[in-house]
Amino acid sequence: MSGTMAARNKVVIAGYAHSQVERHSDQQLGSMAVDTARRAIADAGLDAVDGFVTGALFPTSGSHAAEDGISLVTANWLAEHLGINPRYAAGFQGFGQIPGSVTMAVNAVASGAADYVLLHRALHNPKGKYHENTMRDARGSQQWTVPQGYFGPLAMIALPYQEYIQRYGATREAMAQVLVEARKNGARLPWSHWYGQPLTAEEYLAAPFISDPICRYDCDIPVDGVAAFVFTTAERAKDLPNQPVYVSGFGMGAPVTRRTPVHWPLDDIMGVGEETARRLWESSGIGPGDVDLPQVYDGFSPFVYFWLECLGLCPKGEAHRFVLDGQIDSDRPGAIPALSSGGALGNGRMHGVPQMLECYLQLSGRAGERQRQGVNVGVACHSSPHFGGAVVYTNTPTRR
Amino acid sequence: MTGPPAEPLRPLPVPDELSAPYWDAAARHRLAVARCSRCGTFAHPPDVVCQACGTSDPEFRFTEVSGRGRVRSWTVMHQSFLPGFRADLPYVLVDVELVEQADLRLIGRLLDGPDAPLGLGSEVHVAFEDVTPEVSVPAFVLTAGADS
Ligand SMILES: [Zn+2]
Repeated sequence: MSGTMAARNKVVIAGYAHSQVERHSDQQLGSMAVDTARRAIADAGLDAVDGFVTGALFPTSGSHAAEDGISLVTANWLAEHLGINPRYAAGFQGFGQIPGSVTMAVNAVASGAADYVLLHRALHNPKGKYHENTMRDARGSQQWTVPQGYFGPLAMIALPYQEYIQRYGATREAMAQVLVEARKNGARLPWSHWYGQPLTAEEYLAAPFISDPICRYDCDIPVDGVAAFVFTTAERAKDLPNQPVYVSGFGMGAPVTRRTPVHWPLDDIMGVGEETARRLWESSGIGPGDVDLPQVYDGFSPFVYFWLECLGLCPKGEAHRFVLDGQIDSDRPGAIPALSSGGALGNGRMHGVPQMLECYLQLSGRAGERQRQGVNVGVACHSSPHFGGAVVYTNTPTRR
Repeated sequence: MTGPPAEPLRPLPVPDELSAPYWDAAARHRLAVARCSRCGTFAHPPDVVCQACGTSDPEFRFTEVSGRGRVRSWTVMHQSFLPGFRADLPYVLVDVELVEQADLRLIGRLLDGPDAPLGLGSEVHVAFEDVTPEVSVPAFVLTAGADS
């Protein structure tokens, strides 16, 4: 069994579009998705696509209805509302919505199931409290945690973060620097919910705990937003207008240890996360030292530490010191710009889109005023290291 | 209509065929954990396959355990997404590894209050919250006099 990606550098991203990210858009989510998809197709120099892929997950634990075109947008829905009878349309069901969907888009293009695949991600912030759940009966797996008062993603991330703090002596001052960095970069993005709104360490430190040691700034804010990317073969992309960005490797994984719902011990996260990273390097044929632009996932701030360590960008247990020393400051020469996308903390809950978008923009030379020099290899991470994955992108496939 | 609106109620477990012995034991203030009939390994929560021996017919039996364990992590809840827990805020949740088996972990409330002195490895033992006359939910308390 070879872990090498068979279609390495054969499939590329040829264009993209991204909507405004807003707390509550006036526009219905499906309508935003149609507009964004049309812009992405045009951006790639095309009139249409013949394939559609998404991970349509509506990531809430609250009592909200999941309704196609309103709170989520499936691949089928989008194709139909663009008036396209696609050769291929599929939704991703598994772990890591973005890397999982990218894998499907690459497979569809590489196999010839479709020539041009639109991958979209549409995120919705419903009216009312995002995660609140009024269930009275805790059935099935919920019976092991809900009657005990353990429910929802904040308690979920608080437990492994507390383990990390206790084990390695991480301070709240260090995590403040994660937020300062994410919001600094997010404040530079005209489409971001946090455009023009950086955060100071003092503001972070003054925030009360919600689920100690987690405060509200440690959580990305729910938003309405849509992103879309067009995938095709490297060969076809030669006739298209944009510098192609090649998909060069995947790493994904999930734990096998049985746990009660949303129980994520630190050792589960790091153990599976290190294997995910090993798969990523094997798939892509590169190592951590080759990555110019690692984009760590940050839907909850502790994931930044976990990904930095799993990817081998700093020693285990040291990420908090690494951050405090300015080693992820995107404006500092020689540092690792791990949150130059602004991440979810600096954009809003776009669920892995910022990391993928930053790899695309920087590697295609389309980052405008934010364009970084000498960037050839990026890694876009998504979700927890033990329940998601990462994708390697490059703009110079001939080097390997 | 007079008086304030009723406080929302805590969610209650709905025992099923597999879990009924767990909740029966809890109602008697006993902690019983599922154990594979083939290999004797504890499993929480039980499922259709034993992860230790792989049998797809584990015939789990709920076996009373000591209820003693060590704290692996904790969080102090200042808000709850479950409205029925609002009256209890702030409250502590502990991630406990039971002494019976490595990595056998249960999450429950720590009933010593939000300022209880906690550390990795703090010793706790099971306690029960009588949520209704019929339903008791396993929780934990710090073990007095134990080094933590
Ligand atoms: Zn067994």
